[in-house]
Amino acid sequence: MARISLRNVGKRYDDVVALAECNLEIADREFVVLVGPSGSGKTTLLRIIAGLEHMSAGDVWFDERRVNDVDVGDRDIAMVFQNYGLYPHMSVYDNMAFGLRRRKLAPADIDARVRRTAQLLDIAPLLARRPRQLSGGQRQRVALGRAIVRDPAVFLLDEPLSNLDAHLRVQMRAEILKVHRAVTATAVYVTHDQVEALTMGDRIVVMHQGRIQQVGTPAELYDNPVNRFVAGFIGTPAMGFIECSVERTGNEVALRAGDARVGLAPQRAQAVDRASTVVVGVRPERLSLVDDASAHADTLTVRGVVQVVEMLGSEQYVHVEVPAGMLTARVTRDRPVKPEEIVTLRAAARHLHLFDAPTGAALTAPVRGEI
Amino acid sequence: MRASRIVQAIALGLALAWSLAPIYWMLATSFKNELEASALDPTLWPHAATLDNYRGLVGGTLPFPTFFVNTVVTCLATAAVAVAIALPAAYALSRARFRSRGAVAYGILVSRMLPLVVLLAPLYLLLLHAHLLDSNLGLVVGFTTFGLPFAVWMLKTFIDAVPIEIEESARVDGYPRWQILLRVVVPLILPGVLTTATFVFMDAWNNLIFPLSFMTTLEKQTLPAALVVSFTGQFKTDWGGMMAAATVTTLPLMVAFFAVQRSMVRGLTAGAVAGV
Repeated sequence: MARISLRNVGKRYDDVVALAECNLEIADREFVVLVGPSGSGKTTLLRIIAGLEHMSAGDVWFDERRVNDVDVGDRDIAMVFQNYGLYPHMSVYDNMAFGLRRRKLAPADIDARVRRTAQLLDIAPLLARRPRQLSGGQRQRVALGRAIVRDPAVFLLDEPLSNLDAHLRVQMRAEILKVHRAVTATAVYVTHDQVEALTMGDRIVVMHQGRIQQVGTPAELYDNPVNRFVAGFIGTPAMGFIECSVERTGNEVALRAGDARVGLAPQRAQAVDRASTVVVGVRPERLSLVDDASAHADTLTVRGVVQVVEMLGSEQYVHVEVPAGMLTARVTRDRPVKPEEIVTLRAAARHLHLFDAPTGAALTAPVRGEI
Repeated sequence: MRASRIVQAIALGLALAWSLAPIYWMLATSFKNELEASALDPTLWPHAATLDNYRGLVGGTLPFPTFFVNTVVTCLATAAVAVAIALPAAYALSRARFRSRGAVAYGILVSRMLPLVVLLAPLYLLLLHAHLLDSNLGLVVGFTTFGLPFAVWMLKTFIDAVPIEIEESARVDGYPRWQILLRVVVPLILPGVLTTATFVFMDAWNNLIFPLSFMTTLEKQTLPAALVVSFTGQFKTDWGGMMAAATVTTLPLMVAFFAVQRSMVRGLTAGAVAGV
């Protein structure tokens, strides 16, 4: 149980800035996911929270306690490492009991805790084995067990599922959430997989180039990304982008890309302000394949050449090169599509995301409503 | 294919004969009587095999068992001291990040780059002023000087191979560094520790020049040095007795080598040590 508070945390390695101005408040018992591409600084941030890495600037607080100079072992944290970090020379039982023994608990108490945790994770029959005698999934459970058996205030997980096969990964996601509900710890979870982030996090922290880009619930990130990076990173398949020029006639503001033209509603027109070009983002599920190429004022209708078609059983992803960009449409398989084919895509104007072309910052969010 | 195998077999056979011939000669001579051992026309194997040379070692005028004990004690002590000092040093060089790390690591190695005789005079003076000449303790100090750098570097490579996450787990579990070293790292690199200790032990055992220079009392001498000073007289050399003594000197080394031979191979193919 602990609130975690990061204030202006920064980290430099000589001339390289690994983290800059990271501010984050994590509530007690919250499950927060740090997500970003490799090199985004998410693992460094996690290791700073753990105390395994020194920070160059800023403060870390656990509740009312500033822990900058508190040693790892005194922070009351537990951590699950990507490679599990199990003690190879100890049995599963001893792996779990090792930390408890350090805390000078009574042997009977240690035994009770280890057995209770083993029960929770279905590893009771494995207690006498060594880590090398376990499968990947079993090792993962032992690593989880070792972390929670101590009932830590903070539970840190560094890409714990990345060494598992896809099937097991999905299964262990649910397992980890179950474990988190069973304990009272605040959890911080690092992953590069945005699907994992969306499915697991109470809140998600998107990181890129050492900076926190956006913090929000999965729905907030998906519906209202604050910039082009978050928009492109969150969601599968990724959002498509096209660069448009802005046309102003009287009070009306419209966007143009090649032949395609779409008018903007007044409050969105305001957001575009004096920009001469904007980047339009469209989620794949908001696009449909249409046969009539006639333009409507309140839709974006754009023609392009199919590059790749991905068949996913119930549906297909169609990647289309359009003037000034690439769009991906997620559509049913009712209409067969072939590469090189010229198709027309349409999206409602209210579903478009607008981004400032030079900075990538979101200009306005689309108006929410039924599809 | 067959031809190349025959060539291989011949090459291996020659190499084997080359390395084993002196050992065979040592063994064979140790069983010859005095006359046969010093015959101008040498015999390939003892025609009148005798154990007299070995009996002479125990019951003779020279305190041979004392030499043996001296050697075992000083070499074991050297191995223990060198490993005890080298472990924390190697751990620090492997894990700690400090500015002069490279300089320190190579600085340790400098004494190893010098020929043994170069160290001899300074070591002699140091031991003289410390009143450690002609004592087993002084000998251990000398042996350790030469064995320690090697031990540090060898242990460092073993520690490098231990995945850092395992140690970080122990840090998260609340253990201080020295306990992590003793309770997590050392058990994981135990084959490496044994291998290192054996190498240092063998190095000390083979060291002839230090005991010859530092020790003056014959009763305190080590086996290799005693061999040289005791068996070569001005007018005759007791070849049989010398070879029997040499055999006894060699045996413990062979035993030590075969005892750790398996873990030595495992140790040299490090990385597999941690297994996870």
